[in-house]
Amino acid sequence: MANEQQSTMVRMPISALLGWIVPGLGHIYLGHRGRGLVFLVTITATFWTGVAIGGVKATVDPQTRKLWFFAQLCTAGNTAAAYAMHRSIVAREARTGVTVPKSFWASVDVGVHYTGVAGLLNLLVVFDAIGRSEAPSPVRVRGGGQQGDRGDP
Amino acid sequence: MTTAILGLFDSGMTLSSMQRFLFMLPLCLSIAVVYKTTRCEQLSDVPVAAGVLWVTIVGGMYAVGLGLWILFSIAV
Repeated sequence: MANEQQSTMVRMPISALLGWIVPGLGHIYLGHRGRGLVFLVTITATFWTGVAIGGVKATVDPQTRKLWFFAQLCTAGNTAAAYAMHRSIVAREARTGVTVPKSFWASVDVGVHYTGVAGLLNLLVVFDAIGRSEAPSPVRVRGGGQQGDRGDP
Repeated sequence: MTTAILGLFDSGMTLSSMQRFLFMLPLCLSIAVVYKTTRCEQLSDVPVAAGVLWVTIVGGMYAVGLGLWILFSIAV
């Protein structure tokens, strides 16, 4: 009983941290491989679609879009990569003097919504991983299915 | 190759108002898939449940938009 409680105490923060950094990784760590892969593909695709629509410089910008940046930060790994790209473009512009043209405001709006929503969806996924960390890992059964997979977090 | 991929994210796309409108659809689909994946007990139930939720979200948003448009037409 005490062992089980200790196991939950360890699994909960690890799954939350992994899920925060890479969408779905917390679920994969807990043994919910299928669910984790769905989250990984869906959230990552949504985030990078948004960056491609709005352009990385305007979409992931903590100076002009502070609140949206906080929403984007809920998917930390993607936002860190996008922000590194943002910084590298700014540095390249300063070095070469050639400015990357700013995107049309409507495209930036769509891009920011995509990335912000991706972040908030990942927050939901992190809470789901925390909920599932209290239950025992699913037992794999024949046919690729999983048993003991709880629906409600 | 890497430069070409990174170049994809450098500057954004130019969207027409219709394209802006249509980009709502995949975003709603993504929301529906993630939400239903957290709620469904079996992963095999997710596609149908997400599809139904997607239609509900899009239909609801169109209904709200239509309602506001009618209200605006009457008021102005």
